[in-house]
Amino acid sequence: MKVVATSYISVKGAFLNEKKIQHADDTNWLKSLYQALEIDYPKFYKMDTLSKMAFLASEIMKDEIVAVQTSDQDMQLLFANSAASQQTDLKYLDSYANGGAPSPSLFVYTLPNIVTGELAIRNKWYGENTFFITEKFDEEFFQEQLQFAFARGNKSCLCAWVDTPTDGIEECFLFLVSEGENTTESLKLLNRLNNYRNE
Amino acid sequence: MGIKTKLASRLKPVYLTYGSLVSPLGIGMEQHLAAFNAGRTGVSFQQESGFNKEDYYLGKIESLSDDRYTDLLSLGFSHFIEEVGQELIDSPSTLIIVSTTKANLNDLDTDTFASTRKFIRETTNNPNTPIFISNACISGVIAVNTAADYIRSEKFTDVIVIGIDALYDFVVYGFQALYALSNEPSKPFDKDRKGISIGEACGIIHVTANKPTSFHVEYLGGASSNDANHISGPSRTGEGLVRAVTRSIERSSISKESIDFISAHGTGTVYNDEMESIAFSRLGIHHVPTNSLKGYFGHTLGAAGVIEILISMLSSETNTLFKSLGFDEQGTSEALNIITNNAQVEIKTVLKTASGFGGGNAALIFQKTL
Repeated sequence: MKVVATSYISVKGAFLNEKKIQHADDTNWLKSLYQALEIDYPKFYKMDTLSKMAFLASEIMKDEIVAVQTSDQDMQLLFANSAASQQTDLKYLDSYANGGAPSPSLFVYTLPNIVTGELAIRNKWYGENTFFITEKFDEEFFQEQLQFAFARGNKSCLCAWVDTPTDGIEECFLFLVSEGENTTESLKLLNRLNNYRNE
Repeated sequence: MGIKTKLASRLKPVYLTYGSLVSPLGIGMEQHLAAFNAGRTGVSFQQESGFNKEDYYLGKIESLSDDRYTDLLSLGFSHFIEEVGQELIDSPSTLIIVSTTKANLNDLDTDTFASTRKFIRETTNNPNTPIFISNACISGVIAVNTAADYIRSEKFTDVIVIGIDALYDFVVYGFQALYALSNEPSKPFDKDRKGISIGEACGIIHVTANKPTSFHVEYLGGASSNDANHISGPSRTGEGLVRAVTRSIERSSISKESIDFISAHGTGTVYNDEMESIAFSRLGIHHVPTNSLKGYFGHTLGAAGVIEILISMLSSETNTLFKSLGFDEQGTSEALNIITNNAQVEIKTVLKTASGFGGGNAALIFQKTL
């Protein structure tokens, strides 16, 4: 297995392959990144924070992704986080708990795997997709799931740790992994994530 | 094909056996078999259950308290321990996988997944970190596919797959807001279908590398896919489902002609059931006897795949095609062979499918072996 590319989105900005490519404004930082990166995809404004972050992280990595793909279904999406869709869950609850009516547009985002659906729609990816909930970023777990994905015949995996915890940092760490020959060597994923976090 | 067959034959066998099942129809496989033989539904009239006090039909377990998720998990687990034993759960070579869309919604302010981790810590001595899959309505099928990955990699000899979701206003109101709820018991694939009946259940499948002495089936292969079409609406072409089933058949090294029975997703919404009919027709498997179990349980979300695999295993064990409850008249543009009466037929090879929000589809194939 080999890490082909990484990207990272947080209030600190947009990073690609460990280099900062765009600074974010403090207020409405996701919108500022979207505009500064000059992406034209109005659906962005309808997305929740999870989807917005993963969308931006994948847009800036597009060249690397296209380069590893050999078909529209040979790349698996392997996503995980700790807080599932809690941020949107609470907003949706608030839409009806205090005198209003349940919001259908918020309800749709009360599932974390909507993120993978958004990316699949944007890029016409028909491959396998799974969303896991783990207490924190778990490097060993990702390595295990990557081995399984390749054993099932997938050629590459786009992995994400995309999280909006109530008591922590909103971030998306995206990493593209190709099969390669050595399947047991450490991908040093936590190191890479911590480098971004410490920027 | 030659290479694939060789690869498949080298894969370690994976067996599925009954673990536990708690639903409005009862506890355990025997009570469920009795209900299915009698054509009884677990979906009942629930007065003023809608956001504006509308009446709906829901698959509600009346005995659960306000802490219904915990009650459901506890009932499912206790029955599993009675049937299979504590020793298997405590073993370091056993992994626990939980399939759920929302887990414990009473804990929404803190962490809806934390109470399940705590429950497992307190009721077992299992040293392995449990894995949670939250992938909307395809979670259960993905969980069993993932369990098979773990067995084949020889990381664990046994995996306990728990599929669970409880009934909360949160979910009922949401589907109501999307106009996806039916004001009568759901009628999957019928021409008068009006939508979903939401339900609640806990199902547990024991996935193992060791050939069980009790009834079991062999897991052959599975896959997931995405429609790449819409986050909440089914694809009009069934593209994702076609791909998930095609890849499942390839990975199982069987021919589509050998499929004896399809346990479909069949939510009872106009668009979902239509999508499935198009996909099965494109796949050339529309003549295979097919049912949806949503007429018995309602849609139990993260539990659905797991409980529907359990009932399909029961079909296979008893060689009974269970009728697709709520279906009277063909109501999809592509005609399917929906089962209208319980019938005795040799059932060896079963295809299970699921489709859900986020554009996800998943499928798996199992086979009865002697």
